[in-house]
Amino acid sequence: MFEFPLNRRAFLANYAGGIGSLALTYLLQSEARAAGTGSPIDQRPAHYEPRAKSVICLFQHGGPSQVDLFDPKPELSKRTGQAYPGQVEAHFHTQVRNLLGSPFRFHKAGNCGMELSELLPHTSLVADDLTLVRSMSTESVDHEAALRLIHSGSAFAGRPAWGAWVIYGLGSMRQDLPAYVVLADPGGAPIDGTKNWSSGFLPAIFQGTPFRADGSPVLNLDRPHDVLPAARRRQLEFLSELNAAHLNRHPENSELQARITNYELAARMQTSVPAALDISQETEATRKMYGLDRPDTAEYGKRCLMARRLVENGVRFVQIFLSGQPWDTHSKNAESLRGLCAKTDQPSAALVADLKQRGLLDSTIVMWTGEFGRLPVSQGADGRDHNRHAFSLWLAGGGFKRGYVHGATDDFAYKSVTDVVRVHDLHATLLHALGLDHERLSYPHEGRDDTLTDYLVTEARTVPELLA
Amino acid sequence: MRGWRLDSLFRRNAAVKPPRLGAISSSRRITSSLALLATIWLSLLSPAPMCAEDGADAPAQQHWAFRQLVRPAIPHVQQADLVRTPVDNFIEAALEKRGLTLSPPADRETLFRRLCFDLVGLPPSPEDAATFALDASPDAWARAVNRLLASPHYGERWGKYWLDVAGYADSNGYFNADSDRPLAYRYRDYVLRAFNDDKPFDRFVVEQLAGDELSGYTTNSPVDEAVIELLTATHFLRNAQDGTSESDGNPDELRTDRATVLEGAVQITMNSLLGLTIQCCRCHDHKFEPITQREYYQLQAVFYPAFPVFDEKAWIKPRDRVAHVVTPGEMERWEAETRLLDDEIAGLKRDFANWTRERRPPSMVRFSDDFDAPGASLAANWSSRAPGDDAPAGTPELRLDASQPPGALVRDGALCLVESGAAGDRWLATREKFDWTPAQPGEWIQATFDLKADRLDSAATPAARIGFLIAAHDFDDNSPIGGGNVLIDGNPAGGAAVHLDYPGDDSKPVGDLGSSHYVPGHNYGVRVTNEGGGKFRLEQLVDGIPEEKPVTLSEADLPDGGFAFEFCCGRSFIVDSVEVMAMTGLDPDGSAAHREFADAFQSRQKTLRKALKQKQQQRREKPGGIAYVTDVLANPPAVHVLERGNYAAPGSEVQPAGLAMLSPSNASLAVEQLPAGAKTTGRRLALARWLTRPNSPASSLLARVIVNRVWQHHFGMGLVATPDNFGVSGSAPSHPELFEFLADELMRSGWSLKSLHRLILQSAVYAQSSALRSEAFAADPDNRLLWRFRTSRLDAEAIRDAMLTLSGELDDRLYGPYTPTSRQDDGSVIVAENAEGVRRRGVYLQHRRTQINTMAALFDSPVIVTNCPVRSNSTIPLQSLALLNSEFVRTRASAFSSRLEREESADPRRRIELSFRLAIGRAPDAAERAAAERFLNEQTAFYVEKSQLAVAGNQVKASQQGIAMSPETGAERAWHDFCQMLLAGNAFLYVD
Repeated sequence: MFEFPLNRRAFLANYAGGIGSLALTYLLQSEARAAGTGSPIDQRPAHYEPRAKSVICLFQHGGPSQVDLFDPKPELSKRTGQAYPGQVEAHFHTQVRNLLGSPFRFHKAGNCGMELSELLPHTSLVADDLTLVRSMSTESVDHEAALRLIHSGSAFAGRPAWGAWVIYGLGSMRQDLPAYVVLADPGGAPIDGTKNWSSGFLPAIFQGTPFRADGSPVLNLDRPHDVLPAARRRQLEFLSELNAAHLNRHPENSELQARITNYELAARMQTSVPAALDISQETEATRKMYGLDRPDTAEYGKRCLMARRLVENGVRFVQIFLSGQPWDTHSKNAESLRGLCAKTDQPSAALVADLKQRGLLDSTIVMWTGEFGRLPVSQGADGRDHNRHAFSLWLAGGGFKRGYVHGATDDFAYKSVTDVVRVHDLHATLLHALGLDHERLSYPHEGRDDTLTDYLVTEARTVPELLA
Repeated sequence: MRGWRLDSLFRRNAAVKPPRLGAISSSRRITSSLALLATIWLSLLSPAPMCAEDGADAPAQQHWAFRQLVRPAIPHVQQADLVRTPVDNFIEAALEKRGLTLSPPADRETLFRRLCFDLVGLPPSPEDAATFALDASPDAWARAVNRLLASPHYGERWGKYWLDVAGYADSNGYFNADSDRPLAYRYRDYVLRAFNDDKPFDRFVVEQLAGDELSGYTTNSPVDEAVIELLTATHFLRNAQDGTSESDGNPDELRTDRATVLEGAVQITMNSLLGLTIQCCRCHDHKFEPITQREYYQLQAVFYPAFPVFDEKAWIKPRDRVAHVVTPGEMERWEAETRLLDDEIAGLKRDFANWTRERRPPSMVRFSDDFDAPGASLAANWSSRAPGDDAPAGTPELRLDASQPPGALVRDGALCLVESGAAGDRWLATREKFDWTPAQPGEWIQATFDLKADRLDSAATPAARIGFLIAAHDFDDNSPIGGGNVLIDGNPAGGAAVHLDYPGDDSKPVGDLGSSHYVPGHNYGVRVTNEGGGKFRLEQLVDGIPEEKPVTLSEADLPDGGFAFEFCCGRSFIVDSVEVMAMTGLDPDGSAAHREFADAFQSRQKTLRKALKQKQQQRREKPGGIAYVTDVLANPPAVHVLERGNYAAPGSEVQPAGLAMLSPSNASLAVEQLPAGAKTTGRRLALARWLTRPNSPASSLLARVIVNRVWQHHFGMGLVATPDNFGVSGSAPSHPELFEFLADELMRSGWSLKSLHRLILQSAVYAQSSALRSEAFAADPDNRLLWRFRTSRLDAEAIRDAMLTLSGELDDRLYGPYTPTSRQDDGSVIVAENAEGVRRRGVYLQHRRTQINTMAALFDSPVIVTNCPVRSNSTIPLQSLALLNSEFVRTRASAFSSRLEREESADPRRRIELSFRLAIGRAPDAAERAAAERFLNEQTAFYVEKSQLAVAGNQVKASQQGIAMSPETGAERAWHDFCQMLLAGNAFLYVD
């Protein structure tokens, strides 16, 4: 008969240096929970001094067209109508047509002179605060696979979203607000729905919590209208008597204790959540800045403003999604982009400017990205198909460089060629900015310590050039 | 302890970099230095078995899980009086080594509640609990165990555990569409029945892997229940996600989508049966287990004939991978039944139509053409221009009485609309125009026609739409009158799209009408009803009955105009009996005939609707659809290793084979020659035989893995804490000898899981109290040595099922299609009140991957991606909010309190006692009773006081706030509040 190492805590502590992974911290905290102290969502120290403590991800489903927004290509414009000199990998491979230059003008923005499309007048105003990466590449021209890659580091399903990894790594700054909030489009779910913010094989407490922008933000948050406050108070008192009697039989069981505490937490959330989202407390100037006064921008702007309030209130990770996959411009590319930019340009830029004026930008990473880019050739008459070889994204704040353009694509913006950044590298760098080492942020899964970047296979590396 | 990656040991010192494991992958064994470290590491966790191995270069076969099973001796214990079964010897011996001992048994009420939730997932009834508590006979426990094991609810509980492991879901996943798997439930039922029947586990495995091959089924072979069961079992292999019904994109992507299905089948098979994770071997040799990339593709070769990834033509999409297999006579019975129903429905409709024709006042018929007048020209009633047009509609002009397209002619007493497919709209309109806006609210006008055929001859393409117009007045858009030209574009796939002012640039869609499919053999049309306030309701009529989903129009949308058929886009079809009928209050002669008819008409219509609905509900799905798996290539091509997992880089050829580490001498599969004419290769059957061959390392591992799962569900944690990883990198068993003993017992019993349950449940270990013993807690806080029973929360299904049981609402019907869930505007997923089976057990709820019932998801019901060997156990505030505020819990509390009142109306004290017995399986103790009485008194008084204030004040406002209006309802509400808190309490949510 074997002897089990009974003092597991001491055992783990002895080998802590050896394990060095956050899984240990997590397990120890689970044990701490078992001893009645702390919770797995408690704030945890980073691996090293973090530059940022929060993230706001403005996710642009569908694959925004880098060639019309961020990556000017005079050569492409010149050769509009000619065949692409080579083979193009497309999603709808039978509909590939000739080269199609952007109909939009580009101009130099800010002191840095970053070239941006005329469709982005507001983003241009904050160019000096942005790191623009023009040399992104991903692995699939299929939406779902590319979404899974940019959200969870793998084209395969079932892995945790990177927001879930961040919360697992750093914990929550507030007990009465979810650490990872999703502000979904009231117009409908994004493509792939809840999979975009799943915790995968991490415990479910690390998954994103969707907040609705209208009505009650969290499911079951509000006391039903026919339950009177005094009656509810008495109910809760009775419940705590019942639970106390039950706990007497299991005084050491912290899960039972946690469940009791959760009723208090739930009550606190009934005020803390609406307060964090309450944009009525914002000045007229701020509301205007986000475009709340105009029908085009009001809805998206409201959620950008909410994102700022949430970060201000200690929410670690906020994601904004659009309904469906609007940037998927298979036809009428130019026309659709006009509409999409009219909706998103001003509020996105306002978020950067507003965070900056409040001194929050240094500690908050804002990321604007889709899942892939679009082709330099037309699909049918006036569309653009998916492109996995090149796309652009921008980052602001949280220790990223300001007024900086990283990498370049070929003459057609078809392939990233200089300083290519793969999605795995992006993830490694984002974690790094948050003080987390992507090789050490691991969780035991299927017999190994799994990581966001799966660096042993992907050879992911941080991109120090992106950081100030 | 979860599995750790071996190289984590290297991180103790940051200066020592872990070796790049990829660099050593050419060796299929773990290199000696790593293996040494692994051994040290693992020996710290489980010294005995690992130290028995000789360290470096230990052959894989010596890993405890990969060895052939050896039955251990049963250890002696000092406290022999505690022992009830050999299970106790092993556990007690380990405890005694640490100076500990088993806890005393729990009280009988606690034990019985524990046993009921454990075996059937439902709370005991107070009567059963009382009977058990008073039964002093020595075999009372054994009888209780046997009775519960014999209950069909046992399969619902334990079958669900297998479904989690097998990755069961009611949808295809993969893509956002997450399309339906309407027949998956038959596999679910197969699993539930297999558990209920105590099907030997080895047989269960063989059937799931190769039931089709066992059955010898071919399309024309005779069918009996056994064949159906065997085919159904193979759905196991298609539990993985499968997006190939929705795939689009370039050929590489389509191939990836197909490959994902095969990879999923291999992954689920190896993980659920052998507790191994091997998908990393798709690209390279396993880094931590003795499994090579080549072996992975040998396994793929077993399943390849069923899932031919590289043969797009042979590939079968999930929606087509269905056989209609029925026992003799079943299909005939269904056809006869369906025919009878069809006849009855047609008869009801015919009677209604005849009655209408006979009884309606002639003045109501504004237009009628049955195309039966011999020799009459179409031009008498019809025209290619609308009543208000100057020029004919469209170019070239429509030819009347002509069969060349575009044209219209009468043939065999019906009107043929002959379309060319050339560009441009045209129409055939009535010469007469009608008033489409009846003057008085309630009055209506309708236009209808019989659709005889959706093409001119059987060889032609069916019309994509059946288009017709009302208020057709102005094709060329020259008229000063706006609006009109209301196009109703009837869809064979259901419903009709409505466009105003058609055709032209100013045409606009205004919505969709109805839901019925436009198919020949029915009468279609629309009715316009004056709703008052200048609004006109446009409804679709099918066989004279208005359908739901109307569209609202204004008076300006409906100028006077004709009725017309649309010619467009090659849509030729045949119609008959065109009729325009109006029900207006005023008769031409001033009598009440119209009104009388209209009243009778409406009442008959209502009766007919009800009768039709009843008939439709009697309809049964076509029987026998089985979503199954079989080889689609009887002579499959060679299967290759894919270099680095790249689909475009085939490497060396492989043959189907098992895993070398489990077949020391020979892993190749003995693929039997199947009978001549067989459509399958026999590969899967050979793999199944290899897995279950007695006295082999493979069947030893198979037994260990399922024993661990059974233990896990009885005790809250497996003897191996990583049920999905029995490899070198997984965790070692906490009680290795007990483990071997149980696996051996399972095989000796003929793989009977119910025997295994009995062995475990009869033990003193299982009967232990969960109470705290501080000296034992100090020594083993995690209770890995099992010095007490582990308190655990009910899982998602048990919470639902228990709430429905004690509220007296549970619909405990067994088996059948899933109960649908639906997503609400607020994002939650619920079971709608009008859903069939709304109160059924959780196992029957639709488990769509992207749409998990919210209440279940909150309590850790998994989103199935591949499979789920262990559910997480979360404790989050959202659960508290759901228990306090969700509609589901509040409704259960209401039903619970109604039940209490029904069953114990007189005595509040006894009612309190009953409520506790129902919710937590025992009577309240003195303190709980006092708290309950105090709460009920205070809460009742509060509501009564509120109601008196309300009577004095604003009653309307008071009732809006839901305030009780009398002492009786005050008490009622207090009981409701009380019941809900019982459901929210830990004593209900946890099992001791």
